[in-house]
Amino acid sequence: MPAIVVEGLERAFGEVLAVQGIDLQVEEGEIYGFLGPNGAGKTTTVRMLTTLLLPTGGRAAVAGHDVVAEARQVRSSIGVALQEAALDPLMTGRELIRLQATLQGLPPARGRERADGLLERVGLTYAADRRVGTYSGGMQRRLDLAAALVHEPRVLFLDEPTTGLDPVSRKTIWEEVRDLNDEGTTVFLTTQYLEEADQLADNVGIIDSGRIVAEGTPEALKGEVGDPHVELLVGEGAVAEAERVCAGLGKLLPPKDGKRVLLEVANGAADVPRVVRALDEAGIAVESLELVRPSLDDVFVAKTGHHLEKEEARSGDEEPVGA
Amino acid sequence: MEAATAQATAPPAWRANLATIAALMTRAKNELVRVPGAAIPGVLAPTIFFLGLNGVFGALTQLQGFETSSYESFIVPVSMLQGAGFTGAAAGVNLARDYEGGWVDRLLVSPAPRWVLLAGNVLAASLRSLVPATFVLGIAFAIGARWPGLDGLVVCYLMVAATAAVAACWGSMLALRYKSQSAAPLMQAGMMALVLFTPAYAPTELLQPWLEKVAEINPMTQVLEAARQGFVGSVTWADTWPGLVALTGLLAVLGALALREMRRTNV
Amino acid sequence: MSDLATAARVVRALGARSIRQTFRRPQLISPIVVFPTLLLAIQTGGASAGVELPGFPPVQSFLQFMLAGAMMQSMMLAGNSGGIAFAVDIEMGFTDRLFAAPIPRFAIVLGRLAGTAALGLFAALWFLAIGLVFGAHIEGAVPGALLAIALVTASALAVGGIGAAIALQSGSASVVQGLFPLVLVVLFLSSAFFPQELMVEPAKTIAEYNPLSFIVEGVREPIISGIDATHTLEAVAAILGIVVLGLVLSARALRHRLRVG
Repeated sequence: MPAIVVEGLERAFGEVLAVQGIDLQVEEGEIYGFLGPNGAGKTTTVRMLTTLLLPTGGRAAVAGHDVVAEARQVRSSIGVALQEAALDPLMTGRELIRLQATLQGLPPARGRERADGLLERVGLTYAADRRVGTYSGGMQRRLDLAAALVHEPRVLFLDEPTTGLDPVSRKTIWEEVRDLNDEGTTVFLTTQYLEEADQLADNVGIIDSGRIVAEGTPEALKGEVGDPHVELLVGEGAVAEAERVCAGLGKLLPPKDGKRVLLEVANGAADVPRVVRALDEAGIAVESLELVRPSLDDVFVAKTGHHLEKEEARSGDEEPVGA
Repeated sequence: MEAATAQATAPPAWRANLATIAALMTRAKNELVRVPGAAIPGVLAPTIFFLGLNGVFGALTQLQGFETSSYESFIVPVSMLQGAGFTGAAAGVNLARDYEGGWVDRLLVSPAPRWVLLAGNVLAASLRSLVPATFVLGIAFAIGARWPGLDGLVVCYLMVAATAAVAACWGSMLALRYKSQSAAPLMQAGMMALVLFTPAYAPTELLQPWLEKVAEINPMTQVLEAARQGFVGSVTWADTWPGLVALTGLLAVLGALALREMRRTNV
Repeated sequence: MSDLATAARVVRALGARSIRQTFRRPQLISPIVVFPTLLLAIQTGGASAGVELPGFPPVQSFLQFMLAGAMMQSMMLAGNSGGIAFAVDIEMGFTDRLFAAPIPRFAIVLGRLAGTAALGLFAALWFLAIGLVFGAHIEGAVPGALLAIALVTASALAVGGIGAAIALQSGSASVVQGLFPLVLVVLFLSSAFFPQELMVEPAKTIAEYNPLSFIVEGVREPIISGIDATHTLEAVAAILGIVVLGLVLSARALRHRLRVG
């Protein structure tokens, strides 16, 4: 039985349709990455699947229970770490996990045992009896994750679990998610970071403006987009001229940040010299040139016509080639 | 196998619910105990009102219609109930703050029944209200208020704790409806009106006609008379049961409204 | 001249901002309007038999007597609210933006005070209107009403100076908010709600010397009997005293704030 089944799920806020009839299915034991920019509908979808928001159309089932008709059973089966790590700064870490255990209906002794075990697992034993208000952002996220696991949920919902974290803390969370999945927990992970979806997810659903625009394994999705592209940083005011020159050498993609020309090339690195030659003959100075293999952002561009994330946040397979 | 074992050892629902209520009440006390000076405003406000009103309106006992010449005895139950109202409204403000911070989502995503989540907040307020009430009472005795007898004291404290629960239901209802601390003035003003549109400052016969009419239909009047009886005379069942009925009615109505809002948070 | 013109523009702009802030946030407008109005209704309805007490000044009604106290309460809470809002500006860094601008420092404080004075004016008009709607006479007629309004507005300016000084000194909204009980104490220990001669000791003696009592009586007299020079001058003197205190404290606090940042 799939862990999550969504059919035509919809949520309207007045006139605004934040989620526009999405369908998806997550198998048991899978990590599903739900990728999209801010405002795409990721959090709204998670809130519906975790019973915090009623759908205004369609249906969804989590761990075999309908999210509307059997909400209580859904809550017993899921663990949730939302975008805002909702922690009480006056409580200690240990108190918080024990409270969570009580909320989940665990007997006191079992709750204490789980709290101790989870604090050790996420590396917070040393801070367990300190107030949460003294924790760093990374510590708070780890505590939030531990609290979500206290009752050994079948399905774990993580809403942007690494947003705002430094790279080291992010990697720690990723390792924990992989370990949980190895133990059999299904993970539904929303993120705006391509690398996160690429690294962690077995399957990725890409959402934009309330609709799922692509779904599949990261490799399959990237394979759909096809060829690598060249990114050229040209001089001030030379983008239009450079695009005109490159138009006959490959397929032009939407420029990035108004400064880089993007050209899809069928033969990868072998096509680079003729691009450089053509620009040189046209008297256009190239400040830098990179050969970029398809990323999930490219998938997003192919489906929606715009980029998922800004240039400075971008990560993917890049082979810098000097100008 | 593990799931089956876990199910077998799960406590019965009533015990799990009680444990959840107790855990939420324990959390609620943290603000009093762990934030230096947090208890002061809740204690100061009713105390200032008590001493202030006594100093300002104390001469009113010279008028015909007062059962006592001790204005402090007459007014101390009002201040205790006012303190209960403040405490309950503060519980509503705290809930709104928790909502804004995302904490309430943590509670709502758990399988604990909604009434259990509400009960934790309400009972915590009820218990907390005994702190300012006791402080005000101590001050009142220090300046000469009449000893109400053990029965009068018990009835008064019961009225105070139940009034705080009423106020917490009112505050929680508004917090869950508006999901914002900006509803705080409405929480406080509502309770202030409920407690003070009664024979708070003078006996019913001495009130202006419009206030006399309002006090007649205000259920809080019965609560106040029940709380006051030991301080101005003797305690009788005839003066007690109307207060109990009034509080039961208020709790039933406001509790139901608060629970309704708790259940509609996902709409 | 142009410096003065700039300062006047800044004061006007910041004053307008502080008024908008207050009216847009229920937590700020409620103590100024809702609670004093509720209390006026409750006290008028509950303690009005007090006019029968020997020694109570001749009044048309208890409401007529209470209007001045309600205005004072509203004005004091406006001063406290203004101080809280100023402290929030300091905590959020908005005042840093102002200090970094080429505007006179005093204009920053005056702008905040202008807002508080406007709220005092609003309070005076509000309660006069309520009084008139519910049948209270203003014995001093239009001149009396104008005098009452002027005194309340000037008091708001004076009390606002104290609030601003505390905000500048502490830089903390919770410190200023913590003074709310003190506002209540000062009000109860004055003749705001009952004639000083009929209060109970020790409140009676304290009220006799409380500067707020002089201001209340100055506002009350034109309403219950007509303009009286003695009461008016005493009120003006009390207000000036608070203004001077507020100016001294604000100047010191401003220097402190500029020093610590």
